[in-house]
Amino acid sequence: MLYLRELKKVMFSFSYILFVIIAVFALFSQGVLDFADNIISEPVAGGNYGAKREEIPEVIMPAALQSLYIEFQENNYKCYPVGFLKNVKLNDEEQMRIAEIIADITGMDVDEIYRTQGAVRSNGNDVFFGVSDNKNLSYAAFQERMQEVDDILGGGSSYAKEALIGFGTVSVSYEDACTAYGLATGQDQITGGYARLFSDYAVAMVFAIFPVFLAVIISMKDHHAKMSELIYTRKAPGIRIVGMRYLAVLTAVMIPAVILSYVSNAAVWGMYQGMELDYFAPLKYDFGWIMPTAMMSIAVGMFFTELTNTPIAIAVQGIWWFIDLNVGMRSVSAAYSLMRLAPRHNADSSSYFRTQDFIDNFSNLVCNRLLFTAFSILLVAAAAVAFEAKRKGKINGNHEIKRIFAGIKNRRD
Amino acid sequence: MEIMKSKEYLPVLKIAGINFRHHSFFSVIVSAAILIITPVIFGISNLDETAAAVPLEMFVSLIGIVLLTPIFQPEQNPEIADVVLPKHVSADLIYLIRAVYLFVSLMALIALFGIFMRIQKSDVPLLLLVGTMANAVFLGSLGMLAAALANHTVIAYMIPLVYYMLNYGAGRKLGNYYLFSMRTLDFQPKLWLLTTGILLVFASLLIERLKRKRR
Repeated sequence: MLYLRELKKVMFSFSYILFVIIAVFALFSQGVLDFADNIISEPVAGGNYGAKREEIPEVIMPAALQSLYIEFQENNYKCYPVGFLKNVKLNDEEQMRIAEIIADITGMDVDEIYRTQGAVRSNGNDVFFGVSDNKNLSYAAFQERMQEVDDILGGGSSYAKEALIGFGTVSVSYEDACTAYGLATGQDQITGGYARLFSDYAVAMVFAIFPVFLAVIISMKDHHAKMSELIYTRKAPGIRIVGMRYLAVLTAVMIPAVILSYVSNAAVWGMYQGMELDYFAPLKYDFGWIMPTAMMSIAVGMFFTELTNTPIAIAVQGIWWFIDLNVGMRSVSAAYSLMRLAPRHNADSSSYFRTQDFIDNFSNLVCNRLLFTAFSILLVAAAAVAFEAKRKGKINGNHEIKRIFAGIKNRRD
Repeated sequence: MEIMKSKEYLPVLKIAGINFRHHSFFSVIVSAAILIITPVIFGISNLDETAAAVPLEMFVSLIGIVLLTPIFQPEQNPEIADVVLPKHVSADLIYLIRAVYLFVSLMALIALFGIFMRIQKSDVPLLLLVGTMANAVFLGSLGMLAAALANHTVIAYMIPLVYYMLNYGAGRKLGNYYLFSMRTLDFQPKLWLLTTGILLVFASLLIERLKRKRR
């Protein structure tokens, strides 16, 4: 059977052994194979339960304004469009626009604000800060103005609508901690939280990037072994050859995922004796959270390799992974946004796995994962089309590309 | 006549030119593409020295992997090897020539990017560019070594990538082999990275030579 033969080819290859070693090593170095020092316990009254972010307009509005005013004075706005700091400097016209927005919110004079540019950095306390009383500005209107600021800055600033919550830091109360604990033990049945934490790292550090190597290697194998022409003459349709190969690589990739997720999860089972645990949680997360990303990574590898016969897929997936990883987790909803290659949650026992955030974003996660599954199936179909085109001699792998580069100057000069 | 002449002197430049066009041009294009998208991911204007170090050592240096790892790729095809290896000019020399022009390309790309950052009013002293080069050479030499050992270029790309990722997790525990030290203006690791990188380049050339002897 084609599938089994392909599976054997993948699993007995040196590259697959290397992949498994890398997976174990990467997850071990991230500390997600052993959660022994990461145990949740029932909150005790009078303790410190950490801080959280909450959308409280009375806290957010003055804090955001103060920050904006300081950055305006220095004309140096810190933005994180893709996770890394980008210092944005505005021209006079744009600075004027920011001054107008500040004036609009505070009810102060525009020119007065505009003149304070470049002034000695104020610590913020010597100037007004607060929303003008007479304007009765609603929080929604405030958000809109701040979004406008974000647009002027080119996105990724702390003033974007969904980022404003970053200014609303409040400490977690005992009652909230108890609710969170209840959700972690109830909804998540403990193991769900650990499985989520494992999946978060497993996808970001391993399954978003390394499966692409296996896909590229297996797809180049025919070409390397000079077997392409022989295979082209067989009866099997391209979609079957490419599809079976895809399923074989996916199976091979998911085997260590399932095993490692259970290794990581089972390590804590003993710590919660007498409590109701969900022993299938790792499996649910393996297939619901990890697999769509692995599918995408393999599909990208197969598609670009079939199309070009070059390992360019590694660069494509590598850059996508790098950007996605560094977008980071500026807000909870951004970590679950539709185009996230690696959804992030990253909440351990100290925050009771933030189960509520997961529940709130669950539908986003489902949309994202379905989209990735569908898109990767489409890419595999496209890879099959490329395979058929090569079979019929319509395209010729990287020969065209090579001709362009090598033909720049005739060799016999 | 041509052959006789080539025994007397080596057309080094010609060898470099042909190899570059046939084997390395594509890598250079991919590297240039990486540099072109860098400003999309990172801010590169109005940065002070510590902030300018971030895109350079964390992203620009990745082109070392793209450029240096495939150095042995053409001869990894056994049929090509059968044709090329018995030639009068030894493969060692060809690899060495490739390594040299790849170093030059690497330097040129990094320098160009540094100049671009300076035009964008960032503070980019020469030392930052040398540090970037050190990272690139070290990562690339890991790829070369893996390619020589595994005899497979695609597998080889995994090794420097794993090491790069390790720097996110392990950080300063890597001591003098920590890749992201310039952000704190610590340049000592760069010296280690550059020296080790160059040694690893020669080590992988040596491994290729030993492998050929056993054929």
